Amino acid sequence: MKIDYREYSPNKRIAIIAASELVGHKSCFVGIGIPSDAACLAKLSVEPELNLIYESGAIGALPLSKSYSTGSPSIAHGADMITDSLTVFSDLQAGRIDVGLLSAAQIDKFGNLNSTVIGGYDDPKIRMVGSGGAHDIACLIPNLIILMPHDPRRFVDTVDFATSPGSGRDIKKIREQLNLPEGPSVLITDKAKFIMSDDGWLLHSMLDNFTFAEATEGLPWSLKPPISGPIETDPSIISALAQINY
Amino acid sequence: MIDKTSTVQHAIKNNVNAGDTIFIGGFGHLIPFYLSHELIRQKIVDLTICRSGADILFDQLIASEIVKKIIFGYVGNPTVGLSHSFSRAYKKKSIEIEEWTNQSIIMRLHAARMGVSFVPSKILQIGDKPSNIAYLKQITCPYTGHKFSAIPALKPDIALIHAQCADKYGNVQMWGIDGDTIEGALASDKIIVSVEKIISNSKIKESPEKTVIPSHRVSNIIELPWGAYPSYVSGYYSRDDDHYIEYDATSRDEDKLSSYLKNWVHDVRNIKEYKKIIGNTKIKELEEGLCGVKNED
Repeated sequence: MKIDYREYSPNKRIAIIAASELVGHKSCFVGIGIPSDAACLAKLSVEPELNLIYESGAIGALPLSKSYSTGSPSIAHGADMITDSLTVFSDLQAGRIDVGLLSAAQIDKFGNLNSTVIGGYDDPKIRMVGSGGAHDIACLIPNLIILMPHDPRRFVDTVDFATSPGSGRDIKKIREQLNLPEGPSVLITDKAKFIMSDDGWLLHSMLDNFTFAEATEGLPWSLKPPISGPIETDPSIISALAQINY
Repeated sequence: MIDKTSTVQHAIKNNVNAGDTIFIGGFGHLIPFYLSHELIRQKIVDLTICRSGADILFDQLIASEIVKKIIFGYVGNPTVGLSHSFSRAYKKKSIEIEEWTNQSIIMRLHAARMGVSFVPSKILQIGDKPSNIAYLKQITCPYTGHKFSAIPALKPDIALIHAQCADKYGNVQMWGIDGDTIEGALASDKIIVSVEKIISNSKIKESPEKTVIPSHRVSNIIELPWGAYPSYVSGYYSRDDDHYIEYDATSRDEDKLSSYLKNWVHDVRNIKEYKKIIGNTKIKELEEGLCGVKNED
């Protein structure tokens, strides 16, 4: 089946690509927004075994209406289990949750994420919401996938504040000394998939019918043509999209 | 057994002092709006307020200029946007902050709950650390030699929380999303609880496993139906997402926010009036919404 990805909104395209990345995982630490949409989509199509875990303490949730907070009624309603936040963060720290999905206001070349301030910490242009659970997930989750809309302003060489630590040669060394997992390994935009290397992000693959120029437009990193062919999507992911259409 | 039922006015007046550190419960669910609004009405100042993920109730307390300091992991209007009163206060430097993460706040409360001065954790050893938590120390495990951050205990003077029900002695029953509410309550020296409904002790004894806070820890119980609006209470009413969305526009403008606070806080004399402002149409809609009384599994 030929998929015309341009039919779908940028956020839906991110969820489509991310859903494929979740195949083979059994538990996923999920934040609200695109991460939640992507995890729901995977659960409804290619990875029915996936347990969605929210920091509010909801486990085995499947929100099929819009949720604003990780504690929202749509998260609680229909969950298999509701425990407290200490339990899910303990499971996260103990390495019992497979994969995490994060988004942020800013991302840099080594996958550091910023959700704290634009500008200086003490004298910011924009004071944002802070870490929430993002720092904790970025430190602790064994497999970290980052989801970012392709908005060039949000892609920078070095983030203004590293709320959530990234990866790459130097950070990986420190992570190793601290017995922490490697950090972000995959970045998904609405046009392409990137993978982490010692020297930062590499363009891995692009959605069919998107050009290299489009996939890298405005990104401040020096990127080479993709190392792999177009991204493939299981048709069941596309069929399941209707169920997260809110 | 002592009858701990009270009015919101007396409970706050008799238990909260200027300069106190207050844990405020509710994680999307069970946010004690009406109970905490009483801090504003009584103008109890110089407060330090704390919790992991804070939403628009924190914004309202900050806007009311009764808060000296916030200790938090997140402060915003979830999905909708920023906490504009916090952003303004931060830029004016009229508020002190201690900026942690959600997990570290919960671990800080857990340490206090367990009666120890810190707990070790793997987080907060890499990435940028806010200058206001520069005092956070790293320790070495005496058994393995591994490095951990030593997350310091956070022991609030008092916790304000909302729950589904309690008996008049203060046995509190709660279900649905808890987040860090019970952790924060049990970490605190005193606990004040507002509930949708006061029930009999014999009813409590029918399902004691639902009791999350025992009577001897509770200072006062107040029956405040709809006291968690615009957040929600599982089994009673759903979340008013529209209220949160509209609050974004309101709180961007200080004049609009003043009239909002006059309408929703200062001029409200009792919980019946609060319910009246919410209005019958909205009440019906939220009772029928997800997790509301008319939409339970």
